[in-house]
Amino acid sequence: MSADRQGTRSYWALIVPPLAVMALCYFYPLGKFLSLSLTVPRFGFDNFGRLLTSPAIWHILATTGRICIITTALALIVGYLIAYVMMHVSAQYRTWMLFIVLLSFWLSVLIRAFAWLTLLQSHGILNTALMGVGFIKDPLPLTRNEFGVIVGMVHYLIPYAVLPIYANMQGIDRRLVPAARGLGATSSVAFLRVFVPLTVPGIIAAALLVFIFSLGFFITPALLGGGKTVMIAEYISIQILTVLNWGNAAALATMLLATVFLILAAVSRFANLSEIYGIKQ
Amino acid sequence: MFQHAGGSISGAEPANTLPRGGGALRLHQVSKSYGGILAVDDVSIALARGEFVTLLGPSGSGKTTLLMMIAGFVTPTNGEILLDDRNVTTEPPENRNLGMVFQGYALFPHMTVAGNVAFPLEVRKMPKSEIDSRVRQVLEQVQLGSLGSRYPRQLSGGQQQRVALARALVFMPDLLLLDEPLSALDRKLRADVQLELKALHRRLGLTFIYVTHDQEEALSMSDRVVVLRNGRIVQQGTPSELYERPRTRFVADFLGKSNFVPGLVESIRPNGFSYRWGQTTLFQTGKMAKPGSRVLLALRPEKIEIVTADRRLPNQLTATVVNWTYTGAAFHLLVNTRDENQISLTVPTWRQSTCPEVGEEITIGWDSNAAVSVDED
Amino acid sequence: MIELPTSRSFQVTTFWAWIGLLFLFLPLIVIVPVSFTPNRWLSLPGTDWSLQHYADLIGDETWRRSALDSAIIAFAATFAATTLGTIGAIGCWRVSSGLSDAARALMLVPIVIPSIVDALGFYQALVQFRLTDTYFGVIIAHTMKGIPYVVISVSAALANFDLRLEQAARGLGANMMLAVRRIVLPAIWPGIMAGAFFAFITSWDDLVINLFIAGRRVSTLPRRIWNSIQDNIDPAVASVATLLMLVTLCGILVYLMLERHNAALDQKEAG
Repeated sequence: MSADRQGTRSYWALIVPPLAVMALCYFYPLGKFLSLSLTVPRFGFDNFGRLLTSPAIWHILATTGRICIITTALALIVGYLIAYVMMHVSAQYRTWMLFIVLLSFWLSVLIRAFAWLTLLQSHGILNTALMGVGFIKDPLPLTRNEFGVIVGMVHYLIPYAVLPIYANMQGIDRRLVPAARGLGATSSVAFLRVFVPLTVPGIIAAALLVFIFSLGFFITPALLGGGKTVMIAEYISIQILTVLNWGNAAALATMLLATVFLILAAVSRFANLSEIYGIKQ
Repeated sequence: MFQHAGGSISGAEPANTLPRGGGALRLHQVSKSYGGILAVDDVSIALARGEFVTLLGPSGSGKTTLLMMIAGFVTPTNGEILLDDRNVTTEPPENRNLGMVFQGYALFPHMTVAGNVAFPLEVRKMPKSEIDSRVRQVLEQVQLGSLGSRYPRQLSGGQQQRVALARALVFMPDLLLLDEPLSALDRKLRADVQLELKALHRRLGLTFIYVTHDQEEALSMSDRVVVLRNGRIVQQGTPSELYERPRTRFVADFLGKSNFVPGLVESIRPNGFSYRWGQTTLFQTGKMAKPGSRVLLALRPEKIEIVTADRRLPNQLTATVVNWTYTGAAFHLLVNTRDENQISLTVPTWRQSTCPEVGEEITIGWDSNAAVSVDED
Repeated sequence: MIELPTSRSFQVTTFWAWIGLLFLFLPLIVIVPVSFTPNRWLSLPGTDWSLQHYADLIGDETWRRSALDSAIIAFAATFAATTLGTIGAIGCWRVSSGLSDAARALMLVPIVIPSIVDALGFYQALVQFRLTDTYFGVIIAHTMKGIPYVVISVSAALANFDLRLEQAARGLGANMMLAVRRIVLPAIWPGIMAGAFFAFITSWDDLVINLFIAGRRVSTLPRRIWNSIQDNIDPAVASVATLLMLVTLCGILVYLMLERHNAALDQKEAG
């Protein structure tokens, strides 16, 4: 109806203001910063060239990639487990489980990292307890290394894995697994052949979310990595705060962003992203 | 659907592909309580091999719970379930070898039609070549042969239902359980599918246990109907037994439509009694009743006639037409008696081509064995 | 209808799930007793529980100021983000074209960009306009980060809103502003609130952006905590953390109660 089209057009008046504000206050600053990679200290691709041939950078990238992949895998496993059990227990237990997940989810990343620091550092709670009981003589090195960073990151990201997987599981027809059982399948066959394949969209959504977030992590690795295990976000900040090398920092940031968007583009080729995240049209 | 767009499931086919014979099921004092609330209360049923039994009742009557207990998804709190004399009360569903068609079909969305139908055979570790040929045959029989590689979401409701049936029958179960399988189909389709299911049952000779709240379905397809209410069996029998001789007000009202005439018994007659309803005396054959006691008679609208001058029926009274509806094959009239009681009657159009006017006074009547004495629930 | 699984394998699975939840829960619980330690370093209190760190906290003016700074910034940023995000989401929902979908995708970008990259972008832009270490500058940055959460939440609420209601309103003579204000907004209010809530938390908890664009004049709570951890870990931080956890806890309880209340209301309406 033409009347409807007219009505629709006026709604652009609602879209333009936020976009305009964001263009000025977000995209312009972002673009300006990233462009420094090509202009500081000299115009050209020098920064990228230098970075891509630097062994230190590759070490950082390898560390980051390794930690993020391990973190994503662990968070997915635990997240899937929790979501699955939440689906199948009574409403009362489910409320408690949801409560714990939400508490973790809404708590500041700083506080969580601090909690792990308290627990794991060399004179922290865990080591003090173990040494007090006599299990160990010297404190276990649980922080200022990859172990501490992974523990802290997995802890933060598990709720981000649980929520999309749980949302997806809720949408699965509850009669399908019983139907499979009625057709003769044992509960494990029904689980593997009927339930799991239907949860794949949720797993993809969770994996995407967790991995992309983990790439940009700063606070947790900074606190629990102790300067020994450095991921890319912290390295970028070091470039700025200590070395004042804006060109390098911008180049690294560009590479980080490029990676994130490449992953998003690759996944959206195979799956409808807005469907996965429940942003219905 | 079955006749128009690609055939039926009841056509002729090779003898050795679909199952033959069926299971004998016995439920012995089965109950299910959920925290003090009895969903199923002391139900005992014995089904013969090859029977088509319908569990009929309103929602909350326990019929689906009962079906789920037979299937093995719900464990009874009390009682036993015996399949061919084998006690299966605590056996998990996958060991009972029953075919089940769920409401809404529960087809696996991530598998093709052929994949769905092959699933029970794969689970039973049948060799792949045999599975392929069996699946192909069964799909041919339900006239879905060319759709094996489609996904459930690409099929119409009627086609999905046929897939669900094929999947439930392909592994030769002892029994077929159907949970309101027609509720998702539109009226015309439903009527067609009812006929097809009945024909399928005749052909296969399997025991069918059918759950529905639709009394029309129950009456049209079943050998036997079990009426449930609040978890208990109210009455069971053949469709015509239940329709013609309901035992309680609930059964008379639930199956088809009924008028209810409360009366005060006056005197005993040779083969029945007479009773008083307002200002009218009416006669009823059937079981004896004590004078002075109250009775409730269920009277079906189609058993009432409009009495013309030359007729004389044992039960007659004058009434005024309040309203009428025309449905092509019949007129449905609503009339008021002199005592301000409302009665509905159904008159076929071949008998009465025009309807009396609203406000017109007519004489209605019925035979002395037209009504049935029922218990108040 | 179909009964919940109670098989042995499910019990094992449940056990491991609870282990996972314990993993999530325990570290947070550890902080609480630590905040009561009588020592001047991070330790469990043992037998002597002391409120000394809480007293220090309340007495210390800088902590109070940090909390105030955080609150001011968070409320302002939430207000701005909610307003902009809501109208953007409504616009995109109503227009519903390829172009508006692209616009919405743009509004969601800040979620995907790591904070460190944003922080540096904001930094040099704010330097340019001489807005570093000002409330206004931080509020702008936090608003940008909060908008995507509002857009997601409001879009989800709109997806469940019947478009025909708005069309009916327009047919009855209401112009766009009126239709939105009186028909759409009231219906999606829970979605707006949820989005505002996430935007608030994003601002309240933000550290990375603050590290770069704020300094001495504006010092939010996370910044203060971070500094405290870097210098020497004072158990007062544990006290702050405990208090913050308490606030979060209350928030969740309120949220869960509201959900139960809404579910009960829906049931009453339906039944």
